[in-house]
Amino acid sequence: MSDALKQSLDLSMFLEYRAILLQGLIFNVLVFLGAAALALVAGLGAALMRMSRLAPTRWIGTLYVEVFRNAPDYIMLVWVHFVLPLLIGIVIRRRVEFHPFVSAVIALGLVYSGYFAEGFRAGIEAIPRGNLDAGRACGMSERLILWRITLPQVVRRMLPEALNLFVSMFKATTIVSLIAVPDLMYNVSMVIQQEMRPLPLYTGAALTYFLLIFLLSAGVRAFSERWRRAILV
Amino acid sequence: MGNWQRLVWNQRDVLLAGLSVTVEVCVIAFVAAILGGLVLCLVRLYVRPLRPLAVLLIEFFRDTPIFVQLMWVAYVWPELFGFPDSFFAAGWLALGLQSSGYLAETFRAGIEALPRGQRDAAFSAGMSPAQTFRRIIMPQVALASAPSIVNQFTVIVKSSTLVSVITVPDLMSQSQKLISVWYEPIEILTATAAIYIAFVFLVSACGKWLADRLRLRYGLAA
Repeated sequence: MSDALKQSLDLSMFLEYRAILLQGLIFNVLVFLGAAALALVAGLGAALMRMSRLAPTRWIGTLYVEVFRNAPDYIMLVWVHFVLPLLIGIVIRRRVEFHPFVSAVIALGLVYSGYFAEGFRAGIEAIPRGNLDAGRACGMSERLILWRITLPQVVRRMLPEALNLFVSMFKATTIVSLIAVPDLMYNVSMVIQQEMRPLPLYTGAALTYFLLIFLLSAGVRAFSERWRRAILV
Repeated sequence: MGNWQRLVWNQRDVLLAGLSVTVEVCVIAFVAAILGGLVLCLVRLYVRPLRPLAVLLIEFFRDTPIFVQLMWVAYVWPELFGFPDSFFAAGWLALGLQSSGYLAETFRAGIEALPRGQRDAAFSAGMSPAQTFRRIIMPQVALASAPSIVNQFTVIVKSSTLVSVITVPDLMSQSQKLISVWYEPIEILTATAAIYIAFVFLVSACGKWLADRLRLRYGLAA
């Protein structure tokens, strides 16, 4: 038992493979960036649909948000990777296949767009109506009001929450190894198959992710506190 | 429509068997998370010498991705600590550990939000610290954090899809088994996703209902 402890704490094997493992981490970051961009755009779209004046648009927006907020990331990932290309293929009558990286970005982006949509909606609804009326009275178009009056305030208000969502999203990128995106966890399991030594490698992976995410979320926490204090004045 | 009948409805026993394993894993993990979270929270607040350890554990459980933690518990713990002895146990243990970190923070926020005067009043009425905790603090914290506790259950259900990776025969892994037999992922995966979404939706609707009720009844800000 103490032997096992020593083995799992001996991270020299993890360090020996650091080049390939860190390369995996880059994939985590790339998936994260793609999915974050998609989640922001789709989330804003869904939030605007939910608040539309047309009832059917509102229903679609609500359905969208409820589906993606309640869907587990992993099943969405598998669904987007294995079902979505088939459905698209049926529609355009051609064989379609998604690169695992593309599936990962789409799946995580869609799931988190549901959460972002709720954030955007709460932020938009918190804006006093008078602001919009004032904008209209000055002759601004609806789009100009969205860009110049609504969004700047929404961004300010929801920034801390959005940063927290980004941290969760980065954590979620670890599952993309399951559809063979060569991220850190994927490379770890490849090395384990070669060396047959799961102890130090899984421990190393867990510690790496822990340190990284701990620093990220500590940074977010410190920033949010100052940010809230600054905008509440 | 024939495919839905053949691949989903006729296979409902397989899927339902998976669903019951999913529910089992989630419920055990949920109970473990509440107990673990309570212990971590109490140690962090009231046991001075062990406080840094509790803080470290809470942060570790919260900040390590669930998939990584799951693999770590499933493949490293048996050799390191001699347990868990099955993948099923590893599944609920990893899910429980992660959520216990979150719940510990929920409980702590609940306890710290109580006015100090209540504790002083209990003491001056002659209650012991244990009595104070059981009769004064705990009931209020349980009420105030009930909605977040229910929410944490939805997180467990969502993460539980990953236990299929360590060969626990849950709904996810049953549906993948069906796909490997029939090679028709569209209906099977879509139905599986729908079941999960409906399940999580139901649980979070319960949480919302509970939060509204508590707010109406006891005037709690949820």
